[in-house]
Amino acid sequence: MTSIMFLQHLANGISLGSLYALIAIGYTMVYGILRLINFAHGDIFMMATYFAFFGVFFGLPWYVAFPITILLTVLLGMSVELTAYRSLRDAPKISIMISAIGASFLLENLAIVIFGGRPKAFPTEEIFTKVIHIGNISIQRLTFIIPVVTAILLIILSYLINKTKTGMAMRAVSKDHETARLMGINIDRTISATFAIGSALAAIGGVMWGLKFPQIQPLMGVMPGLKCFIAAVIGGIGSITGAVIGGFFLGVSEIMLVAFFQSMTGYRDAFAFIILIIVLLFKPTGIMGEKISEKV
Amino acid sequence: MEMLRTENITMQFGGLTAVKDFNLKLNKGEIVALIGPNGAGKTTAFNMITGVYKPTKGKIYYKGRDITQMAPHSITKLGIARTFQNIRLFKNLSVIDNVLIANHLHVKSNLFEALLRVPKYKNEDRSMMKKSMELLEIVGLIDVKDEKSSSLPYGMQRRLEIARALATKPEVLLLDEPAAGMNPKETEDLTKFIKKIRDDFDLTIFMIEHHMQVVMGISERIYVFDYGITIAHGNPNEIQNNQRVIEAYLGVDDNA
Amino acid sequence: MMKRDYYLTSISLVLLVIFLYFADMYMDAYIIRILNLCAIYTILGLSMNLINGFTGLFSLGHAGFMAIGAYTTAILTLSVDAKVQNFFLEPIAAPLANVVWPFFPALLLAGILSALVGFLIGAPALRLKGDYLAIATLGFAEIIRVVFTNTQNITNGALGLKRIPPYTNLWWSFGIAVFTVIFMALLINSSYGRAFKAIREDEIAAESMGINLFKHKVMSFTIGAFFAGVGGGLLGNLLGTIDPAMFRFTLTFNILLIIVLGGMGSITGTVISAFVVTISLEALRFLDQPIDLGLFVIPGIAGMRMVVFSVLLMLVVLFYRHGLMGTNEFSWDKFLKVLRFKRPLLKGGKN
Repeated sequence: MTSIMFLQHLANGISLGSLYALIAIGYTMVYGILRLINFAHGDIFMMATYFAFFGVFFGLPWYVAFPITILLTVLLGMSVELTAYRSLRDAPKISIMISAIGASFLLENLAIVIFGGRPKAFPTEEIFTKVIHIGNISIQRLTFIIPVVTAILLIILSYLINKTKTGMAMRAVSKDHETARLMGINIDRTISATFAIGSALAAIGGVMWGLKFPQIQPLMGVMPGLKCFIAAVIGGIGSITGAVIGGFFLGVSEIMLVAFFQSMTGYRDAFAFIILIIVLLFKPTGIMGEKISEKV
Repeated sequence: MEMLRTENITMQFGGLTAVKDFNLKLNKGEIVALIGPNGAGKTTAFNMITGVYKPTKGKIYYKGRDITQMAPHSITKLGIARTFQNIRLFKNLSVIDNVLIANHLHVKSNLFEALLRVPKYKNEDRSMMKKSMELLEIVGLIDVKDEKSSSLPYGMQRRLEIARALATKPEVLLLDEPAAGMNPKETEDLTKFIKKIRDDFDLTIFMIEHHMQVVMGISERIYVFDYGITIAHGNPNEIQNNQRVIEAYLGVDDNA
Repeated sequence: MMKRDYYLTSISLVLLVIFLYFADMYMDAYIIRILNLCAIYTILGLSMNLINGFTGLFSLGHAGFMAIGAYTTAILTLSVDAKVQNFFLEPIAAPLANVVWPFFPALLLAGILSALVGFLIGAPALRLKGDYLAIATLGFAEIIRVVFTNTQNITNGALGLKRIPPYTNLWWSFGIAVFTVIFMALLINSSYGRAFKAIREDEIAAESMGINLFKHKVMSFTIGAFFAGVGGGLLGNLLGTIDPAMFRFTLTFNILLIIVLGGMGSITGTVISAFVVTISLEALRFLDQPIDLGLFVIPGIAGMRMVVFSVLLMLVVLFYRHGLMGTNEFSWDKFLKVLRFKRPLLKGGKN
C-alpha cells in the first residue's frame, strides 16, 4: 500500500462520506423534530435519482434537469409527511413507525411498477466524470466536486437553521411542541419545512450519487438509507454536526475497510450495523448527542 | 425505628439544580408531607428515592441499607411503593389486571411452571387474585373491576393507583399529590382513607400534596421545598408560622 | 375454563383434524401449499405479536431469526448426497457433511439456536428504547443475511440450498401452529403475560410496580425468537429451496402486516389475519402476471401486488389503528352470541 493509493482511497472515502452526510442530515432533522425514523427517506433519495434520470432522458440539459429534480423531490418529501405522518401526530409511536415503513415500501414498489425493476444507467455528464491527473493520482472530478458541494450546502444550511425565522422555529419545535405552539409557531408548517430541507439535500445527494455510481434501481435507497440513519446515530441523533461527522466517519472507514482488508469485502454492508450496535451499547447518545430523558 | 433516610441528595439536570442537599428521615408509622410551590423539585425527590433518577450526589438508605444505585424494580421489591402525580395506570388493561400486575414481583413460580399451570403456580395465582379483590374492596372499586382502567372517572383512577401500590406490599408508601383534582368531600374522604391504610397496612407514608387541609390534617411532620432547597422542616404548627414558608408561598413584596 | 367451552374447543380441534385429513388426501398440491403457508405465517405472526404487540417492543429482526431457523433445519435434514450436490463451489464443513437428522429434532434445534441468538442480541439491544431497538434489530437481521451470504462452507453462500427434503406437511404445520396458539394463550394469561402487557402500557409504571423490565423484555424476545426460528425451519422444508436473499426485510414486512391488520396484542386477530394475508398474497399474484382477457392481454406489472399491500398497511394504520381485533380475543361466549343472531353460519370451528 503506497501513500498515493492511500490518498486515492481517502479521497474516495471523503466523497462517499459527503454523500452519506447529506442524506444523514435528513434523518437527523426529522428525528430531532418528530422523534421518528423516517424510513422513507432512503426511498426519497432513490426517487430523486429517477427524477434526474428521466429529466436527462427526455432531453433536458443537466442544469435544468437537476433543479427540477430537487423541486420534485421536495414535493415528494412534503407529501409523504402530509399523508403518512401528519394525521398520526398524537398516535402511539409504534403506529407512526409502521406508517413510515409502509410509506417506504410503497415508494419502493411504486418505483418498481413505474420504472421497472431492472437497473438503469444514469446519464454521465462529461463535465463531472472527467478523470483528472495530479501527479500519479488519477481521480474523477466528481470526487472533488462532491465534498465542495456538500460544504457549500452545509454553510447554507447552518445559516438557514441559525439565522432565519424558519430555522429558529425548527429549533423551538424540536425542543417542545407544546411550548412552540404557544409561542405562535405553526407546528405543521415547520415540520413541512424540515421535510422539505431534508428532501432537498437527499435530492442533491441522489443526483451526485447517480453520477458517481451510475446504475440506479428501485431498491438502491434501502442500504444507503439505513447506513445514513446509522451515521446520524453515530454522530448523535438530532445534531446536524453529528450527522455530518457520522457520515464522514462511516464513508471513510467503509472505503478503508474494503481497501485494506480485501477478504472482508463481503461484509461491507454488515460493517455499518456492527458499528451501530457498538455505538448504541457504549455511547447511545452518539458523538454529539444530548441525553433525552423521559419526564416522569 | 428509622425507615428511610436521605443524606444530602442532590439532582442536577445540566446546569439546573432541581433538588439540593435534601435530608429526609422517615420513622416507622409516620405520615410526613412534602410541600412547596410548583416546580420546587418535589417529584424529583420522589424519583430519586424510587430509583427512577440516580442522584447526582448523596445517599439514600432504606432501613439502614444503601439503595442509592438500585434499579426501581428492586427498590419496590424491598418495600417502597409509589403513586404518580400524572396518573400512570396501565390504561388499556382492566382494573383488576392493574392490581394483579403489581403482585407479579412476588411470584415465585418460574416461567415454565406458570406456562404449565403447575399446582404451585395455580396456588400463587389464586392467592394473588384473592388479595387483589380484597384491595379493590378496600378502595371501593370492586364493582368496576372488569372495566378498562382509563374509562374510570378521575377520583377512581387515583384510588386505583393507591390500590396498585399497596399490592406490591410496601412498608413505605410515597403518594404524589393524592388529592389533586378532588372536591372537598372527596378530599375529606381521602384524608381518612390515608390514615386508615397507614394503620391497616402498617405503613409509613410520605406524600407530596398541595391541599393544605389534607397536609395539616394528617401529617406529623412537614418538609417545605422552594427551588429545590429545603427551606423549612417541622410539625404543622411550626410550618404554618414559619416566615420563610409564608414568603415562599405568598412572595415577598420588595417595595414594602 | 367452563365445561362447555372445553367440549366446544375439543370438538373444533377434532373437526380441524378431520379437515386436515381430507385436505391432505384430496386437495391439490397448490392449495395444500397455501394452507401450509397459512399455518406457518400464523406461527410467525404470533411470535412477532408477542414481542411487538404484547410487550410493546418494536423489533424488526424477524427475517433474521427465520433465516437461522431455516438454515439450521435445512442443513440438518439435507441428505448426504444432496449436500455434496449443493456445495459444489466449496465442500461443506466436515462436521456437517454426514449429519442427517429427523425433522423434529432439527426443528427444535432451529428454535433453540434462534432463541439463543435472540438472547445474545436482545441482552444488549433491549437496553435501548423504541426506535433504536427497531434499527438495531433490523441491522441484526441484515448482519445475519450478510454473514450467511459469506459463509460458503456452511450455508453455501449466495447459491442457497436446494433439494431440502419436503418434510413440512399439513400435520407438522398445523400441529405446531395449534401448539403455538395454546402456548401463547397460556403465556399471555399468566402472571408473566400480564407483566409483558404492563411493560407495553407504561414502562415507568411497570418498573415502579416491581417488574424487572430487562428480564421480562429478554424473556419475551427470546420466546419470540424461538418460534420465529421454528417457523423459518418449517418454511425452508416446505419450499425446498432457500437462499439468503429470501430473508430480506420484505419478509419481516409481511409478518408486520399480519399483526397490524389482525390487531397488535390479539392472538385471535393474528390467526385470522395470517390466513387472510397469506391467501390474498397468493390470490393477488395475478397482479404481477399478465392477464389474458381473450381479446387482448394486460401485461403483468411486477411489484403491483406489494403496492397494494403497502397501501393496505398504511390505510390500516392511518384509519383503523386497532386492526381487526384490537386487543380482543375470541371466546365461545361471544361466538355463540353472534351465532344466535346471525345463523346459520356454515363455517364454524376453530379460529
